[in-house]
Amino acid sequence: MKGSDISAFAAAARVSSPAAIDHVAPDSLKGIPRRQTNPARWNGKGWNEFVTALRARNIEVCENRQTCGFYSSDSGGLAYGMPHGITLAGSAAQISAILKQAQLHRVPVTVKGGGLTTEGESVAFGGLLLDMRGMSRVISVDAQNMTVRAEAGVYWHTLAEVLRRDGLDYLSAPLNLTSSLGGTLAVGGIDINSPRLGCSADQAVSLQVVTPTGEIKECSETLNADLFERVLLGYGQFGVITEATMRVRKFTPVTMHYFYYGSLREAMEDLQMLVREDAADYCGILTIMDKAVNLLVAFDSDGRERAFFAGWRKRLRGHGELGFGLRMAWHYALRPWRVGEALYLLGRKQELEPAFNPAHFMEDGRIIDRAVVFGNQVWKFWGGRKMVIPDLATSADKFVEAIERGNAVCKKYFPRYTLYCVGIKLSGRRERYEMSCVPPDAAGFAYGCEFEPILGDTVYSREYLQAFKNEIYEIGVEMKTSYYRFGGMMKGYIRRAFGDELVEKHLAMKRLADPAMILNPDVIF
Amino acid sequence: MSFIENVKKVDALIVGTGPAAAACAKRLVDAGCETVALESRELPRHKACSGILSPRGHRFLLENFGPLPKEILHTPSSASGVTFHFPSMRSVSINFDGGPTPHLHRKYADHWAMLRSGAEIHDQTEFTGLSDKGTHVDVAATRDGLPVNYRARFVIGAEGPSLAVVRAVYPDYARKIPWFVVGQKFHPIIDCPLDDRYFHFWFNAELGHYTWSHARDGRQIVGVGFLKGDNFDARHQRVVEYLEKKHHVRLGPSESPEIVTANFGPSLINRYIFGRGRVLITGQAAGFFNMIAEGMSCALHSGAVAGEAAVEAFRTSKDIQRIYRGMIASEVRRCSDQWNPLEIAFGRPHEADFRAALKRLAPGERRGVIREIFSFIRLYAPLKWGRQILWQSVCRRFTGRYPSNRWL
Repeated sequence: MKGSDISAFAAAARVSSPAAIDHVAPDSLKGIPRRQTNPARWNGKGWNEFVTALRARNIEVCENRQTCGFYSSDSGGLAYGMPHGITLAGSAAQISAILKQAQLHRVPVTVKGGGLTTEGESVAFGGLLLDMRGMSRVISVDAQNMTVRAEAGVYWHTLAEVLRRDGLDYLSAPLNLTSSLGGTLAVGGIDINSPRLGCSADQAVSLQVVTPTGEIKECSETLNADLFERVLLGYGQFGVITEATMRVRKFTPVTMHYFYYGSLREAMEDLQMLVREDAADYCGILTIMDKAVNLLVAFDSDGRERAFFAGWRKRLRGHGELGFGLRMAWHYALRPWRVGEALYLLGRKQELEPAFNPAHFMEDGRIIDRAVVFGNQVWKFWGGRKMVIPDLATSADKFVEAIERGNAVCKKYFPRYTLYCVGIKLSGRRERYEMSCVPPDAAGFAYGCEFEPILGDTVYSREYLQAFKNEIYEIGVEMKTSYYRFGGMMKGYIRRAFGDELVEKHLAMKRLADPAMILNPDVIF
Repeated sequence: MSFIENVKKVDALIVGTGPAAAACAKRLVDAGCETVALESRELPRHKACSGILSPRGHRFLLENFGPLPKEILHTPSSASGVTFHFPSMRSVSINFDGGPTPHLHRKYADHWAMLRSGAEIHDQTEFTGLSDKGTHVDVAATRDGLPVNYRARFVIGAEGPSLAVVRAVYPDYARKIPWFVVGQKFHPIIDCPLDDRYFHFWFNAELGHYTWSHARDGRQIVGVGFLKGDNFDARHQRVVEYLEKKHHVRLGPSESPEIVTANFGPSLINRYIFGRGRVLITGQAAGFFNMIAEGMSCALHSGAVAGEAAVEAFRTSKDIQRIYRGMIASEVRRCSDQWNPLEIAFGRPHEADFRAALKRLAPGERRGVIREIFSFIRLYAPLKWGRQILWQSVCRRFTGRYPSNRWL
């Protein structure tokens, strides 16, 4: 064989040798499925026909570029996308007409309430953005049956204000009360009373839902129960919640107590003990790094408070403020090179204390409006212009280890951060918990922890923040936990966390419910 | 017609259509910014490059632009890792952390990413200059020999080693940095025992500063890098003869020689150039180069950061340079860490575990390899980077960052 023949043969052999594995496929990174988590903008095909059809039905679509620009990101501030147009939700009938036309013209529809998503779940990468804040009325309060009926775009703080007029209160709500009711029901809604009352989604009695094909349906545990279970904790995949009937309770002022720990593990174990034994009406943990771990405990009634101090206080390993202060003084006296950290902790304490005990919301040592105090202050001091809050949702057994590992990741990436941990009471084994923030191995209670860097004035690139979030989520994959925020930019973890079989099952249900796959298309699938 | 009537007004103008430009454009377009990218040549355009992307770059492409179509890949379509060869004929193969990575056909890959970004592309339009007016930047270009004018709120220079925008902002910069010549020739393969799943690199001072080879589309690339002023053909021939003699690589006559110049150095000594006023510099133009001269992944990431900084500046009206320099610090750490001897010794800056590969060698072999690496590094002594690298490494070790006062 001549040299040139050999070369041609060798070249052909190299080119044609079949590759057993496609090394550059989306799932080629050592078996890690990677997806386009920063979606391409929808191509706009069919948009004009869609808009014409809507306008023929007197539905207004705003295509103004400046207005669309207001909707280009969410509270996370990392994902950006521009809708082709925006419609302010007005009624279930209007949304029904929109979704019917969207199916017909295959136009993506992204639903946005308070926009408090952090991974771009409420960002439209083209198509129509449906702003649910146009439907924000509290329709009726039924003090006899202790329920309230409200439109889905209502903010929790508005709901709280209306309920307060009748001496009523919501059960559990997300800490940020500018979340919308519908958005919260679609993902969960965790409060520091969730250890007792469960997540907000579990407080829903019935819902009015517009399905992706435009049918308006009422659903509850007894009526259209399948739809009810799919829509709650459904990440907006199976319908647009337009109205909800929620359980409410009597309004009570709250007495709050704080216990301080120097050890994350001890604080977490004590929190679990309180949750397990139903020792407090509210409990949760907020930390400043892993140096000042604050277990907060609160009560609706004097009786419960007394019972706590009689039965549980002595079992807690946390200190009072004075005891903890002395321990910290000793700790930093032995480590003078950490004076910066000590001053930061002190400054933070001086900032936070008045904020959590505001005189104008206190009466006889009780917080008379926890909605305002928690909703405003927690996010004032813990949130930032960019909300970077990766989380892990675990069963009881994995909770402490998950937090310790997540804490190590926080330390690696940021000098200042906070952890927010709560327990969540589960109401049995419900279909809605499948492929949700509730971990599959949780029984009785689930636990969640948010890992939040305090970004201050430092600017970080999205890639850096994303790398931080990925490292937290990798812990979840390794430990087989779940997440509160697994959509949008984090959806690459869905198959890794839940497995192909479960995801395929939900994808099949989604395809059945939403044939053109137009409703919130870039969130989960 | 007056200048104002004849000018195209955009939010952001990107010079270049490579990976940094595509990533930057993606961020800007997603945020609704009207974005135009200028390219002097007709697209798709050729780009001399190994095309072997790091796992991090692979992830970025998948997550931002979607699955890679076959058309943007060479054959073999992926590389499993790197094989280092030493003068003693020791060889160490190291797999990439994330598994095999794509072997990109830059001509089509760059164009694909640019199209996927959604930006408006003006090819055959050559950037010729700019004037920063404080509130906007006027940009001059030519198309078909005729002047074309743009007015942008921000300009992003992502033009790679041509440094067109850099020269407009810092006219003396290109003259002050050492330039390397990187040339490659393609050979028909008669017999090549080098494993075609790996990118091969020679730590051999006799062969030059940067000597590599890998398979592509049935041919073998033989590449050499050296300081500007040396003779490419002679250098290349020396390597071909070395490969035949030492590795029994028999190649046919060379075809399609390609030569590019590279500003290889800023990432080693933390001398990046990030622009001035409303003009940002990113990607290779800013000095980003990973170890083994892989520039695509840091171009993608730094380009994205430039885009994010512009979006942030649009939204907050803050100084874009301050935003960019704050955000880019993480990419500087990632990139410069790869050259930082203390990070290499005590950290894990690369996406391939060199230390584990060394541990697999017998102790004597290991010492020999380390000796040969140090012997190779001496080749760079005339550049007088040693003390700078060491001082930057110490700063990084004790402050956690590279000093930003060295950036232009």
